[in-house]
Amino acid sequence: MAAEPSSSNIADSTGASAPAMARLAPWLGVATLALMLASLFMVFEYVPTEAQEGIVQRIFYFHVPCAWVAFAAFGLVAIAGVFYLWLGDQIWDDLGYAAAESGMVFCTLVLITGSLWAKPIWGAWWTWDSRITTTFILWLLYGGYLMLRAMADDTPEVARFGAVVGIVAALDVPVVIVSVRLWRTIHPAVLVTRQGGHGLEDPRMIATLLVATVAFTVMFAWLLMLRFAQLRLRSRMKELRRALALAEASAGDL
Amino acid sequence: MDNFGYLFAAYSVIFAVIFLYVVFIWRREARLEAEVRALEARLRELGQGSRPAPADTSRGRQ
Amino acid sequence: MGSFAALLRKDLRLELRSGQSTLALFALSLLILVVLVFALSPEPRDRAEASAGALWVAMVFAGMLGATRALLSENENGCIRALAMSPVDPAMLYGAKLAAAFIFMTVAEAAAVLLVVLFFNLDFGPSLLRLAPPLVLGTLGFSALATLLAAISGRTRAGDLLLPLLAVPMFVPALIAGVKSSAAALAGAPFSAMSQWLGVLVAFDVLFVTLGGLLFEHVIGED
Repeated sequence: MAAEPSSSNIADSTGASAPAMARLAPWLGVATLALMLASLFMVFEYVPTEAQEGIVQRIFYFHVPCAWVAFAAFGLVAIAGVFYLWLGDQIWDDLGYAAAESGMVFCTLVLITGSLWAKPIWGAWWTWDSRITTTFILWLLYGGYLMLRAMADDTPEVARFGAVVGIVAALDVPVVIVSVRLWRTIHPAVLVTRQGGHGLEDPRMIATLLVATVAFTVMFAWLLMLRFAQLRLRSRMKELRRALALAEASAGDL
Repeated sequence: MDNFGYLFAAYSVIFAVIFLYVVFIWRREARLEAEVRALEARLRELGQGSRPAPADTSRGRQ
Repeated sequence: MGSFAALLRKDLRLELRSGQSTLALFALSLLILVVLVFALSPEPRDRAEASAGALWVAMVFAGMLGATRALLSENENGCIRALAMSPVDPAMLYGAKLAAAFIFMTVAEAAAVLLVVLFFNLDFGPSLLRLAPPLVLGTLGFSALATLLAAISGRTRAGDLLLPLLAVPMFVPALIAGVKSSAAALAGAPFSAMSQWLGVLVAFDVLFVTLGGLLFEHVIGED
């Protein structure tokens, strides 16, 4: 009889945090749509064409926000990992997993759009330029994290492994950046002028980049919320399964 | 400026990948929600089944 | 400190009795070097660079398969759980495992260097001694990384597949620095050409030894 109230409790308390997120997600979706339309308008209508690179330079306005979002996502994986190891609450593991997955989506986009820009400008789809190499290593690092999650079961132990890998990978990134930069010190001139900020003389270019960055940040928040809410639901499912197994066992005893 | 193809490809890839990711999330969502509902219902049933009170009257709540 | 010495002594005694890990490491390095000689040709254009590269490829892949054996034996029979529950400080346990892996790898690598000299027709000379700092620093970093990650991969399904997926990307900075400084050493370049790379290796070692010591407890701990 002692197990009975707790089992009906768990069935009724429909995961308090999940519906709150589910309510937030549509609003983020609407905001994403509006901001995306605004940035598309700015990229294709408002911003002047860059003199040297021509029309392809417009890839830059979506490429850079993707990179920023990917880096932020991977930082979030490490922060969530620290909190998970510290507090042991499943919510942090769900957040870290969701961030790694959506970060991976944007990291892939950075590599693809960068490649599509490099072909007409540098004449090659891929070069072992320091920035590309660093992004690619980042992609491999978090690919490893996701492979761990895919290949292992969903246990608290594996959640701890994920947290450890997320933290170690993030702290490895600065060393990767330094070593890759030393490895390839020759930057093509285009990249230097771009990264030096001199490629964006026109204030309209800066404005476009800013709006696109906000749009991608909101889009990332939206995707993260969707996936995070889903992982919360999955954790709840596991909890319910456990409770059900307990309840069935005690019902069998009676 | 016949580089338009690259520009078009870059923006299409971005939206295609994001769209596919959202579809991937939504497809799982439906399955997951159905399973959680089923589990909740089964749990409530079990919780009441062990009680001597008539099970049918209280099943409708929530 | 006593527990560290005891744990290390236990691993070393086991290894002296069987020689399994070191032998496996050496055999794997030998085979990888043979493959690379056929892949690169025994007279590559830049001999210093090719042989340095071969040495590091052998180290990473042999190390991946072999150096984790010290930890593996304990995973197999559940000893790691017993050790995790014992009053031994997890950081000490990590340090002992790391030291054992480091010693096995260093012994195997010394032999691999001789093979590289023979296979790629290099000269026995002072340039080989200058190979020591990058190799020792790189091996330390690799052992630190592999010990932490093998504790993870050893307790998941398909762990031997997972270990390289996790370890190789993380090892990239040390790999770049190691290959570059080893090539400089073999080419007889001045020390200043190596110093920035050795700096990267030192930073990598400090980072991963510290992280391993801090995080090992979460990897081996019980729920």
